[in-house]
Amino acid sequence: MLTTKKSIENGTAVFALEGSLDTFTAPVLEEELKTVMDGLTDLTFDLAGLDYISSMGLRVILSTQKIMNKQGKMKVTNVCETVMEIFEITGFSDILTIDNGNLPDRT
Amino acid sequence: MTIKLTGSIDSNNVNDFENELIAKLQGYGGQSVEFDASSLDYISSAGLRLILRIRKQFPVMSVTGVNSDIYEIFEMTGFTEMMKVEKAYRVVSIEGCEEIGRGANGKIYRIDRDNVVKVYKNANALSDIQHEREVAKLALILGIPTAISYDVVKVGDSYGSVFELLNARSFSKILSTEPEKFDWCVKEYVDLLKKIHSTVVPEGKLPDMKETALTWAEFVKDYLPAEAGEKLVKMVKDVPHDDHMIHGDYHTKNVELQNDEVLLIDMDTLAVGHPVFELGSMFNSYIGFSELDHNVVKKFQGFDYETSQRFWHDTLSGYLGTTCETKIREVEDKARIIGYTRLIRRTIRRKGLEDESARAEVGFWKARLVELIEKTDNLTFSFNEMEVEAVIENLPEVQKFVSERLKSAECLPKAKMQISLAVEEIFVNISNYAYKPDKGTASVRVEVKEDPVSVVITFIDHGVPYDPLAKDDPDLSLPAEMREIGGLGIFVTKKIMDDVAYAYRDGQNILTLTKNL
Repeated sequence: MLTTKKSIENGTAVFALEGSLDTFTAPVLEEELKTVMDGLTDLTFDLAGLDYISSMGLRVILSTQKIMNKQGKMKVTNVCETVMEIFEITGFSDILTIDNGNLPDRT
Repeated sequence: MTIKLTGSIDSNNVNDFENELIAKLQGYGGQSVEFDASSLDYISSAGLRLILRIRKQFPVMSVTGVNSDIYEIFEMTGFTEMMKVEKAYRVVSIEGCEEIGRGANGKIYRIDRDNVVKVYKNANALSDIQHEREVAKLALILGIPTAISYDVVKVGDSYGSVFELLNARSFSKILSTEPEKFDWCVKEYVDLLKKIHSTVVPEGKLPDMKETALTWAEFVKDYLPAEAGEKLVKMVKDVPHDDHMIHGDYHTKNVELQNDEVLLIDMDTLAVGHPVFELGSMFNSYIGFSELDHNVVKKFQGFDYETSQRFWHDTLSGYLGTTCETKIREVEDKARIIGYTRLIRRTIRRKGLEDESARAEVGFWKARLVELIEKTDNLTFSFNEMEVEAVIENLPEVQKFVSERLKSAECLPKAKMQISLAVEEIFVNISNYAYKPDKGTASVRVEVKEDPVSVVITFIDHGVPYDPLAKDDPDLSLPAEMREIGGLGIFVTKKIMDDVAYAYRDGQNILTLTKNL
């Protein structure tokens, strides 16, 4: 299950994802993104509610990053520990702009 | 002293009746008086007052055979609390009624559209009825859909308990009259069986099936070659204690469809124990009783032996969550050991060995039993393997299966998540590539190991040989533009599991994931 809340204004979009980004939900998100990518210059994925990501999810994030590299900027915020670990394993933590500033201190 | 009350007792005749009573009781030295009210039609307050007057002299008083209208009067006036008042049992005839079920202790008949009666054949029927009522209530409270009797009745020389069972049909009836519903029946039957077997029973509430099976094994031991006999007893003893419910007589006549609800009936054999004991009795219902004479099942269940064999096989397959014939056969053989043991004991006890047909039966089962004992090491089995069609739509089913198997292991949420992730990556890979463009199956086996505590998940498919580990790992130092979009699944799996191994054997791709817990 994945719930997506999005707000889009003047080329700036925030996608807040909640749940799992997996084999079933990633293609749905990809379709949703396709419809708004045109003219987008600033994209944020708020992953505060995302607790699971599989390679299908990584695919969508990476392909969106590639597009945004050409037409603007993209960042990923509030990544939880389990998802962060997958980003680190796959080197995504180096590719993506990750902002975990708003996350509560876990120590 | 017993005094018969007849007809009507009211203010019109109470004085005459009192004189009659005094005459009868004259000279009676005892303290107890029993009124037989089986022919009593009516009693007014004048009559009740008379009973109270008599009670002053004879304090040990009881009234028996009270019909339900009069019982109501006794109850309202508080008489039932002052003295023993026994209700008369309603008399029910089963002549011409359809037999819809049959259990260890009796037969079940439909008496009208809404009601059935279970007639007990044992001498102590009333205590059996009480027992069944209690265990049925227990089962209902524990979440098993069943019917509870609301009345005890007299049927001929025996007693019966009456249940409401509206428009219900047994699965035997459905299987024999609507063959197109076969697969549906298997599924519902398996679901209910799983529900029974996943129900934990509070200690001491139900008998332990292992104890019963042990008495069978010890009995049969003396009729087997020494070595086989001892091994049989040992194997039964070695079955671990299990506090989950088993029905004890789970065949399709005891499963009813009432409107859209599947109900379990005939609860008197309810017990706790390892499922192998249940499967043993199920084997007998479908195969064991009919193996020598295939007509037996037709007579009893209404469907033929071929249907019975198929139903038993598909039930085992569904129950074990596998279509792997080797696995099904392995578990069936364990069930057969219990089944034959019971059959041999039953025949010897009922017919003795002087009877020629009994000797033939026992010889037939004995030969099979000895052969099975020889090649079997233990009677337990696990549900650790499933086989499904390799399509991504089945991923949730696979995930559910794996996570259920993990319940027994102490698995931290993070490890659980990593295992789900690995299962998704591998199963999706097999679904997408193994059989393209055709279709095929994948089996998934889950083993929880000790020392070190770990989970081993094995995926097997019969598709094109493909070693996912042969592919180079992605270069993580590349910038986004140069990274490949795909190919991360196997890499992530390798990183989050402690070991990933691939082998190709006998036409099978075998991928083994190990996660230390």
